[in-house]
Amino acid sequence: MMGKSFSRILIFTVLTAISTTLAAQVRMVKGKVTTLEGGKSVEMPGVNVVIVGTSKGTTTDIDGSYSLELADSDKELSFSFIGYTMKTVAIGGQTVIDVVLETDTQQLEEVVVVGYGVQKKSDITGSTANVKGDELYKQPVLTATQALQGKVAGVQIISSGQPGSSPQIRVRGVGTTLGGTTALYVVDGVLTDDISNINTADIVDMNILKDASAAAIYGSRGANGVIIITTKRGKEGKLVINYNNSVGFRQASNLVEMANSREYSNYVQAATGSAPPASSYNTNWYDVILRTALQQNHNISLSSGTDKSTYLFNVGYLTDEGIVIDNDFKRFTMRLNNEYKINNIAKFGFQGSYANSVNQNGFNNLNIDAFGSVGSVYNDAYRAAPFIPSIVNGKYGNTSSYQNVGNPLLDIKNNSVKVKEDRIQGSTFIELKPLSWLTVKSSFGVDVRNATNRVYNYQFESDESTFIIAGGNQRNPQSALTVQNSQAARWVWDNTFTINKKINNHEITFLGGTTAESFESSFISASRKDVPADPNLWYIGVGDANTSQNNGGGDAWTRNSYLARLNYSYNGKYLLTATVRRDGSSRLPSANRWQNYPSVGLAWVASREPFMQNQKVFDLLKIRASYGKVGNDQIDSDSYTNVFTINLPYAFNGYNSSATNGARKDQFKDTEIVWEITEEFDFAIEFGILDSKLTGEINYYDKKVNNALIFKGIRHTILDIDHNVVANAGVIQNKGLEVALNWKDKINENLSYTINANATFNSNNVLDLNGGSPIAGGGVGSQGPVTNTNVGQPVGSFYVLKTIGVFNSDADVANYVAQNGKIIQPTAQAGDFKYQDLNGDGIIDNKDRQYVGSYQPVAYFGLNLGANYKRWDFNISIYGNVGNKVYNGKKGVRILGTDNIEKSVVYSRWTSANRSQKEPAANTGNLPASDYFVESGSFVRINNLTIGYSLPPALLTRARLSSFRVFLTSQNLFTFQDYTGFTAELPGSVINSGIELTAYPTTRTIAMGVNIGF
Amino acid sequence: MKKIFFRRNVGMAIIMLLAISCNEDFLNVKVQGGVTNDPALVQKFVTGTYNSLTQGDCFSNGDVHGWGFISVTCTISDDADKGSTAGDQAVPIGDLDNFTTTSTNKFCETMWSGHYIGIGAANETLNLMNTASTPLAQKKIYQGEIRFIRGYLYFNMVRMFGDVPLVLRVPKNLKEAETDPVYATRAPKAQVYDSIIQDLQFAVDNLPIKSQAVAGHVTKGTAQTLLAKVYMYLGDWAKVKALTDAVIASNQYSLVPDYATIWRQVGDNNAESIFEIQTGKFNNANLKIDNYIVSQGPRVGGMGGWDDLGYGFNNPTPDLINTYETGDLRKAATVIFIDNSGTHKGTTLWDGRRIPSSDSVQNLYYNYKAYTSMTKEEFANKLDKDRPKNVRILRYAEVLLMNAEAAFHTGGDVLTNLNKIRQRAGLAPKGSATLDDIWKERRLEFAMEHDRFWDLVRQGRVGQVLRAAGKTNFVDGKHELLPVPNSQILLSGGKLTQNPGY
Repeated sequence: MMGKSFSRILIFTVLTAISTTLAAQVRMVKGKVTTLEGGKSVEMPGVNVVIVGTSKGTTTDIDGSYSLELADSDKELSFSFIGYTMKTVAIGGQTVIDVVLETDTQQLEEVVVVGYGVQKKSDITGSTANVKGDELYKQPVLTATQALQGKVAGVQIISSGQPGSSPQIRVRGVGTTLGGTTALYVVDGVLTDDISNINTADIVDMNILKDASAAAIYGSRGANGVIIITTKRGKEGKLVINYNNSVGFRQASNLVEMANSREYSNYVQAATGSAPPASSYNTNWYDVILRTALQQNHNISLSSGTDKSTYLFNVGYLTDEGIVIDNDFKRFTMRLNNEYKINNIAKFGFQGSYANSVNQNGFNNLNIDAFGSVGSVYNDAYRAAPFIPSIVNGKYGNTSSYQNVGNPLLDIKNNSVKVKEDRIQGSTFIELKPLSWLTVKSSFGVDVRNATNRVYNYQFESDESTFIIAGGNQRNPQSALTVQNSQAARWVWDNTFTINKKINNHEITFLGGTTAESFESSFISASRKDVPADPNLWYIGVGDANTSQNNGGGDAWTRNSYLARLNYSYNGKYLLTATVRRDGSSRLPSANRWQNYPSVGLAWVASREPFMQNQKVFDLLKIRASYGKVGNDQIDSDSYTNVFTINLPYAFNGYNSSATNGARKDQFKDTEIVWEITEEFDFAIEFGILDSKLTGEINYYDKKVNNALIFKGIRHTILDIDHNVVANAGVIQNKGLEVALNWKDKINENLSYTINANATFNSNNVLDLNGGSPIAGGGVGSQGPVTNTNVGQPVGSFYVLKTIGVFNSDADVANYVAQNGKIIQPTAQAGDFKYQDLNGDGIIDNKDRQYVGSYQPVAYFGLNLGANYKRWDFNISIYGNVGNKVYNGKKGVRILGTDNIEKSVVYSRWTSANRSQKEPAANTGNLPASDYFVESGSFVRINNLTIGYSLPPALLTRARLSSFRVFLTSQNLFTFQDYTGFTAELPGSVINSGIELTAYPTTRTIAMGVNIGF
Repeated sequence: MKKIFFRRNVGMAIIMLLAISCNEDFLNVKVQGGVTNDPALVQKFVTGTYNSLTQGDCFSNGDVHGWGFISVTCTISDDADKGSTAGDQAVPIGDLDNFTTTSTNKFCETMWSGHYIGIGAANETLNLMNTASTPLAQKKIYQGEIRFIRGYLYFNMVRMFGDVPLVLRVPKNLKEAETDPVYATRAPKAQVYDSIIQDLQFAVDNLPIKSQAVAGHVTKGTAQTLLAKVYMYLGDWAKVKALTDAVIASNQYSLVPDYATIWRQVGDNNAESIFEIQTGKFNNANLKIDNYIVSQGPRVGGMGGWDDLGYGFNNPTPDLINTYETGDLRKAATVIFIDNSGTHKGTTLWDGRRIPSSDSVQNLYYNYKAYTSMTKEEFANKLDKDRPKNVRILRYAEVLLMNAEAAFHTGGDVLTNLNKIRQRAGLAPKGSATLDDIWKERRLEFAMEHDRFWDLVRQGRVGQVLRAAGKTNFVDGKHELLPVPNSQILLSGGKLTQNPGY
């Protein structure tokens, strides 16, 4: 950009010089261009001075002065400089025109937060991405993380439709199996792992540090990427009041259609030989438990300030009913951000937020079973027979007496699960600038959470008071109440100094500092039985003391770090960033407690080279490369310490007296483990062409974890209750390519538009386990684990039997023989699946399982279009995910002949007339884990579609408003997917994700709202 | 002025920077709630070792007296069938029952693992005792109890697997655990038996007699009885005779009059009890062996319509039922007969509970010894289908029958003790007894009590008897032992060998 301008200036200057010598009539104008910097007038060299309407002009020299020869026809002069508002001055009769340029906050070269400081975007040598809060807030979703989906290359967001849930974020693949994969969030300097408390309306921008070089400043926290969130500040000027709202509804975006009574009856008859009883009911159990839900979001913000202080106050209220009946989520948030300028040297600031959330029957929050881990409702809705009514005259249909499956409606109605959370998060800082080149900052942040989970299981019997027909296993003879209170508090204290010096073409910024962090958490829980059903009696003290149980525990750790970063720029062309962080943690044994995380990044802004000034292709061409190390500290605090398992009682005197308490050393620990360290190499090209209408970035990365923590199976002759030790033995690699393109154009005064497209290709691979055992995960009912993490495969690959057709006849069965002459599936019948006998031993068992893909996508992409036409604005975001697999676990939990079946299966199943080779004959379930359950996880979704209209200024003035916009928005309007289940977007821990078992269906939201500025 | 200001600010900044940077103590935070030391640790470790006996996690971590134990001691024999529905748990239980077991059988693995967890706990406790300040007299008792448990667990191990790794110490670190051959190579059976005898003899020498100990603890009598049983398996009849004579002479035990009460709660730690795995309550919750009761409870079937008691496994066989003589009181105390008469009267159990008739129940016979009463017995949580039940491992009846068998071999009085058992069972005393008579008495007296399979192996006629009972897959020289878990062979890097035939 700069380079091009300079080249133009150069050409202009030459042309001007030539033209002046040829011109006959000349008059001169001269002057000085200055700007205000810290209250002082500063001369501005290099300012572009152009005679409006001509190609003539000049640039100011070192002391900001210029002179120009003018023709008679010349009327106006324009003064421009990057980052400053262009000024146009009428010449008239003046011969001296002095101009003061003002910095343009819009045009000022983008500065991004890079961790403990800011940096000009063009100077960055690592891989980062920046997303503006406005763009996130447009979407009617709970957290900014979810709104980030499809916006940034290299950042995969996996979210569920569940109100109040935090989406999962995976930056450039996953490099761990046992450690956490959550990115580190830094909210105004406070480190956290969950931002569901942050009102998206409060966010100025999110800056994502993707590669090891950018994240190395966060050392052992950086391996999963870092997301820095800056919240809004007040601005100098008059009081600004904004009110925003949106009100809309949500529904399941995709439903699975189950067989109706007639189809069910035929299928069950075929599967079991006996038809279910005749019935006039035809229950669609999903209709019974799902609904259209209301969602609302309201925000009021006030902000203002003087040159001494600014403030911003925001109150938000969000409700989200959730599409499963009885589910309800509410969140109230409040934020106050203040800044005070004490004098020219000292600045003091405070950012604080309070969030209160209440989640009623938030499914999967707690798995408490009294015939209802609430999540079981999904299994039950899938399996329950359609000929049984859900509820008639207040009495429930008895699915359990007929088929041993709970009535899904009763599953919901017999439990009440409420989670309340209060959270205070904030930071305060003092910043001193004793010298123009030195900034010293101390900032102290806290994050305090207090949550209460209350679970009540109603008492009911499987008799006629509850059910239409008595009997069955769905009953809870004793009511039960469980209350858990948990709290967590952390503080982080950062002390940094920054030196910034510019000497001629050399600019050096050096950051040094220390940080200390402390975390403490604890929980206490209690439960009693026989608590009356009245909610105002849901207190532990009301229950039967003879049934009381309690528990409690806690965690604490500290961390101390030193950090340093050097940025060097030569003329904005050659850039170097060198970072080192030294992290010490209480969680590692003192001998290997301290670890260093170095990184280095280099960049060359080729477009600023003189030889590039004559080309017309690139406005920007930047090449950068970086290398760095980061760590993943998301492992348990006691991972290396030998502790005893307590509460292992023995009832010496039988039932006569309470048991004696005992202890055992149940875990064998590798006391020498260290954190997982990721080494990453990153190479990228950034460019801008066609007058920067098209900008883009292509990034290649290769990151490797050489000491991934994995389970190492330990001989069972060693005392270790689960026969595994955690050891640094795995090698996991993620290699990938990211492409991001931005097109920005203004066709005329009325129409402008932007297109942003990004795509990420990632290849994840376990390179070695070094004697560790493959890690099985993803348990699906009686099928057992369906994923395996092993050498040569992506983490969490599906590992199942392979179907090779369906037996058409008994002769087919008899002819399916192994080399050793054994009939491979002797008990199979015509219509049963034929499985591949991989090892050729003539037996189909777990040894015949093979890898059939993983949940990790080959590629994911986003396409975002925005357009403004007159006062209309239009936005569409598309997100897609291709090349991965999902496991239809719902099908896998079909374990009885009387379980319901998907409608499509009823018609596509194998029969002697329709010899399907894909779908077996009517069966009684209990099929082993096979590729039958593995489906394509690819999908493309219209994530968001928004149309807005802003009132014209004339109307606004009359209404005394500064802005007024109405909009209609839809989240997840449409999904194109091959998958036959609810959703192919299935969060879970690395080795358990991609399995649809009790997944909350992805929802479609349609909402409208207003944004009003007063 | 400016200078002073500068100094003050920079000075302040430096103080800020250094304030928290030089304190290593800040990083010394202990694991919260992670117990690493405790003055009462020795006693707790002893209890924790006992706790290992209640393992019943047969599908993953380890089993000692749970469903795995039921399957490899009882279901595998001619006393019991798998039960439940045909396909239910065909692997691993159906395979054990039918002698089609493979080396990946989960129950074989968890039985192996559970026993070594107990052995490891015992080793860990003995190790801790080396440095503990416990008074010597108390220490001897603790050591006796722990060494008994270790001996008992190894006795089960040799009976299940034959040669097994003989682990008697604790590895120092991961490297030793991964490389020391002790943990991965099988010691010959004879060497394991030597260790068992040493452990049990130590217990005999150091433990108090029953009347001087708290119920549920291992006593001198317990150790003597188990040692006698070990010698019986080794065929050392003189020692069996001497040890059982000593137990009888100790006057600590007697037969209870009503056989049917032995496996009920009123029979917990009764006069006859010598070694029983204790269950009860803790923290207002049931303290049980997982799955012991629920796996054997009568199962809903056919027309359904009732809330059943369990999964319906380990059903007494017609072969067992037909072995009882007419009038044997033990038959009705051992088997729940489901009403199959067509009259739909159902079956009323000792506490008055009615089980529906066969059209609503999956199987015809269930193990009465695994029945718990919701109304007549006490539990912390009655509604739990898997309720606590003490598992009787050694009772006085066994002392009497071992004594009789030893007398048979050494030429002593067989009939007195044998007839005591018959008399209680409501049967006429025998005038003379063959070895088969004694063995039959053992079978009926301890039916469904986890003795039958190993007893048949000891008697050297397991193949013959089981094949006659219809278990035609039984191969002599192979099926006397379970397969060594394949997972363990892999983890040993092939050092661990497999049993013949697997």
